[in-house]
Amino acid sequence: MTKTLKALLAGAAMAAGMAAAGAAGADIKIGVLVPDSGPAGLFGPSARNSAMLAATQINAAGGINGEAIELVFADVGTPPAEAAQAALRLWKGEGVQGFVGMHDSAVREALVGRFNGKVPYVYTAVYEGNACAKGLYVTGETPSQQLAPVIPHLMRAEGVSKWYLIGHDYNWPRDTNALAKGYIAEAGGEVVGEEYVPFSVAEFDSSLQRIKNSGADAVLVTLVGGGSVGFNVSFAGFGLDRQAIRLGTLIEENTLAGIGAGNANRLFSASGYFASIDSDAAGSFAADYAAAYGADAPALNGLGQSTYEGLMLLAALGNKAGSMEVDAIEAVAEGTNYASPRGDNTLAGRHVAQTIYLADGSGGAFEVETAFPEVASTDGCED
Amino acid sequence: MSSVLVLNLVWQVGTLALIALGLAIVFGQLRIMNMAHGEFVMIGAYAPVITAALGLPGWLQLPVCVITVGAVALLIERTVIRHLYGRMFDSLLATWGISILLREAVELIFGRGYQSVAVPVPGTLYLLGADYPAYRVVVIAGIAAGFAALAWWNARSKVAGRIKAMVGNPDLARAIGINTGRLSAASFVFGCTTAGLAGLILAPTVRIEPMMGLDYLIRSFFALVVGGLGSLEGLGLGTAIIAGTQSLFGAALSQTHGYLAVLFISILFLWLKPNGIRSSSR
Amino acid sequence: MASVLLPVSLLLGGLLLVPQLFGDFFAYQIGLYLIYGIAAQGIGFLWGRTGILPLGQALFFGVAAYATAHALRDVDGLAAQLGLAVLVLGGIVAVAFAIAALIFRGRSDSGPYFSLITLALVMAGEQIANTATGLTGGFNGLSGYDSLGGLDPFGNFYYLVVAAVVAVSALLLWLDRLPAVLIARAVADNEPRLQLLGFPTHVIKALAFAFSALIAALAGGLFASHQGIVTPTSIGFALSTELVILTAVGGRFHVFGPLLGAVLVGLASAELRDSFPYWEICLALAFVLVVLKAPGGLGEILGRLYHRILPRKPCKLPEPVQAPVSRAGEAPAPLRFDDVELRVGVVRILNGVRFETPASGIVGVIGPNGAGKTSLLNTITGNLPPTGGRILLGDRRAVGLPPHRALGLGIGRKLQVPSVFFSMSVAENLAIAMMAGRARWRDYLRPSPLGWRAPGLDAVLDTPAVPLRAELDRPVGALPQGHRQFLEFAMTTAAEPRVLLLDEPCAGLSHDETTLMTDLVRRFQADTGGLVIMIEHDMAIVEALSDKVLVLHQGRVLAFDSYDAVRADPAVQAVYAGGTK
Repeated sequence: MTKTLKALLAGAAMAAGMAAAGAAGADIKIGVLVPDSGPAGLFGPSARNSAMLAATQINAAGGINGEAIELVFADVGTPPAEAAQAALRLWKGEGVQGFVGMHDSAVREALVGRFNGKVPYVYTAVYEGNACAKGLYVTGETPSQQLAPVIPHLMRAEGVSKWYLIGHDYNWPRDTNALAKGYIAEAGGEVVGEEYVPFSVAEFDSSLQRIKNSGADAVLVTLVGGGSVGFNVSFAGFGLDRQAIRLGTLIEENTLAGIGAGNANRLFSASGYFASIDSDAAGSFAADYAAAYGADAPALNGLGQSTYEGLMLLAALGNKAGSMEVDAIEAVAEGTNYASPRGDNTLAGRHVAQTIYLADGSGGAFEVETAFPEVASTDGCED
Repeated sequence: MSSVLVLNLVWQVGTLALIALGLAIVFGQLRIMNMAHGEFVMIGAYAPVITAALGLPGWLQLPVCVITVGAVALLIERTVIRHLYGRMFDSLLATWGISILLREAVELIFGRGYQSVAVPVPGTLYLLGADYPAYRVVVIAGIAAGFAALAWWNARSKVAGRIKAMVGNPDLARAIGINTGRLSAASFVFGCTTAGLAGLILAPTVRIEPMMGLDYLIRSFFALVVGGLGSLEGLGLGTAIIAGTQSLFGAALSQTHGYLAVLFISILFLWLKPNGIRSSSR
Repeated sequence: MASVLLPVSLLLGGLLLVPQLFGDFFAYQIGLYLIYGIAAQGIGFLWGRTGILPLGQALFFGVAAYATAHALRDVDGLAAQLGLAVLVLGGIVAVAFAIAALIFRGRSDSGPYFSLITLALVMAGEQIANTATGLTGGFNGLSGYDSLGGLDPFGNFYYLVVAAVVAVSALLLWLDRLPAVLIARAVADNEPRLQLLGFPTHVIKALAFAFSALIAALAGGLFASHQGIVTPTSIGFALSTELVILTAVGGRFHVFGPLLGAVLVGLASAELRDSFPYWEICLALAFVLVVLKAPGGLGEILGRLYHRILPRKPCKLPEPVQAPVSRAGEAPAPLRFDDVELRVGVVRILNGVRFETPASGIVGVIGPNGAGKTSLLNTITGNLPPTGGRILLGDRRAVGLPPHRALGLGIGRKLQVPSVFFSMSVAENLAIAMMAGRARWRDYLRPSPLGWRAPGLDAVLDTPAVPLRAELDRPVGALPQGHRQFLEFAMTTAAEPRVLLLDEPCAGLSHDETTLMTDLVRRFQADTGGLVIMIEHDMAIVEALSDKVLVLHQGRVLAFDSYDAVRADPAVQAVYAGGTK
């Protein structure tokens, strides 16, 4: 038993020592929460790089209120309990004054509960909308932003009207589809099928059969990650790409690479960011990224790049408020404006009105087809 | 039933049987609960990625797959598995650790991103009144031929009997001159290599990434316990029941129902017929 | 009691110091690992004692966590919340018991099928938690409720966690010293033997499973309050395997092992996850190494180190206490076979066996190999239920009952190859045997039955030539074969059965030992006045002991008479013609 105790004490001493060493600097510390492990671990490296690039640029521009920022990273690709632990270590242990997080919604809910409005927290991932809490600001795209302009546009441009909705069996796809049905009906289309697939199912034969039989000419795909890859590969294998276009709201560059050029015919994606956005801001961002991390750096994509957006918003908020205190930021947050590779962004209802891009992945690489500027989120917050 | 539903069922049963075959050898004959089985499928699926990265011609995918998977399997057998014969629960735990190691190793080499493999036989065939992916048709034919050959060999060869003798009574097997160490190693490597081949065959039709193995592991285990260990017919029945349940429930209700139905049926079999559907009583 | 009080107070003291030494946040962090540690302790209890490996323990953890979240959100008042907690815990225990009892009924092993069922259950649970958004909040989980009793998760809630850890540890340490855990360990060691000693092993295993589920549920309830959110990961496959890994690394045989594993792995993981990219590889490697080289985990390694510094005190044998009367020793009664048939598959083993023994005396069973002698005994004890006919002991039917009911009818059985509890000491083996047919439920929760003695057992142990008295503290695995025969004989007769079935009791014994064994058999029969049925090949022993001889041939009774009459029977001579004895 005494052994147990000693081991405990040794571990504890180690932790306390490291925390003390970390608290030495005078800069503003920002906690950046990215997935290094788990299913979203794929996005960890590009998210880290984008965040570091943002920090460099923020500091070059004078930091926040004249103080340089220093990033502290934590892995939140874990279950919510462990992710909250990691974030709290940064907050309570290392004196972090603000957070930027790119992770799933379950982790966000855990963090909102634990932060309790006492530290500013910018959430940057694509998500289902309607997350409202004191101190929480969202740069990630919500379904209303990705779909309200895009669905009518696609229906006009591609001449499609019969939609099939397929997603993984959890909150984000269900909330996305609930909104999508409204937009489809408004634009004069109809929903010919809707289904949800468990994360644990890796084959989509019966779903594809249903899509074929439904006569759908458009499929809204809210499957995530590997499921999306598997679905899209089989979709093309059955020749369904000739029957229907596909629109995804979370198909980014890595997912498209996994789907493969041969399986991506008439596959569209709606997002606030693509590596191939053709604008000066996006071009110089991509050039800076390549200069900083080399040509073989993890590919840029909407989720990874979002940490850059998060830091830019956090810096804008801090500078506007003249403080990193939540109460000061809350008072001035609405209407905060910042420019980024995505375009011109304005905080409205804790969410960011931003440009939404529609890209065509047919050739195996996204080509931005249309940009919809200043799309506000209708699933943001009232206050 | 529509013809596509039938073809889908045949495809599901065939590929699951191919994946479960290796597990049937390793679990059924050697009594090793190989939780890293899915990772061998994963490594096999990376064979085309390896040949592409090295700039090798496509026909080398098969030898590269067999050599890579076989070498990894042999290494694992020599360092870990050989200590675990007769320790079933320990084999489950140790191979669980190995599955994590293999995933991490592949991630270190190829990164965590998705890989894509072009379909060698592109397009669809008009078959039984419906369009069906041509590659699937070729694979179904190949698997059917492979299992027919295996059944023929199994009926004639003494190897299966030797393996059974070895597991049932290793001392006696050694006494009658069976080299148990070599036979076990060969069985393990063979079982894992069939999993790797299954991965190679499936590669153009599925997602390829380091975590893909888990999808195949659980279903293979359930197919084995439902079908019972130790016979090819049992393997066929088990995979038919598991893949059929998922396919039929998935088509009639939803994929979620299909998944829950597979779990439910597996629980019933494990409870009432732990030795498989063909055992007379428990 | 010192062996419980000392470690528990050290644990309590150490844990109470944590917030003082390292601050509230560190205590919060340790709190989560301790909660996992509690659940792992439950796994350690089940796996380390009974040998059952649960792969779905997060099912109970998660259900309790969700229930707690709902209670904290929708139910007002601490009393109502605690009342609900008791209800939920009771429900979980009942369900876990029912699942395990149903699955284990009629089996005498803990093979992988049970582990796989728990795995399938937790996978179904995780899927339902993801899908049933109305009940569970789906993937995003249930959140937005206060902590239990308004405690601060970053402050005083830690002390509630510590209280739970200390209570569970004390309970487990206390149980480890009691007959209940001795019986549980006997399940892992030799389940068929335990059944023949009259213990319903499926009930024992179900109780152990339910107890481990209760501990997991307790941890789950604490988790919900500590974290302020419950998501499907709390009821998932990944958490289940994680808990098993913590248990294995920490050590499943020691009460503190899983706790140590959870805290050390948790801390190291939190420290290294962000700074050391190969952390997951190292953890997986360490896990494989533990499984291969140190199945007892860190707990055993540290324990060995500890005992190198402070040598283990010689194990004190329990105080001998007069045991209560055995329920197996009713009035002697004749055993009657009416046309008993036994088929296994297409093989007919017994073909209408018919005989009736006297109520008292020694019956020798002889016959060539394959005559069905051992199968005959198996039909009596229920190991192989007959496919036809009936077996009566006195006026009670003894057919179709599972093996653990045989002793209740007064039937004790010694197997051909000595079947004892090989991982235990002689004293522990005898203690289990003395509880057979005597112990009542409450006896399993007090230490005194460990020292139970009865005149019958004392008579065997006091026989000068019997080697066991001096070997009471020795592990059975270290005994020579002959000694094990005497041990199993002593164990089988400890319950004083009115029918004693012996399968070649003298096999492997020296000449002197054979004489001793025959003396013991004769004396047992004389003392109890009951019936002994003994399979024996050695005709000299048969002649010396048997009042009557039953000759079996090809699954039928060839002759049943006195030794001399059987010997003179031409049919028997025909079978044995050319035979040696």
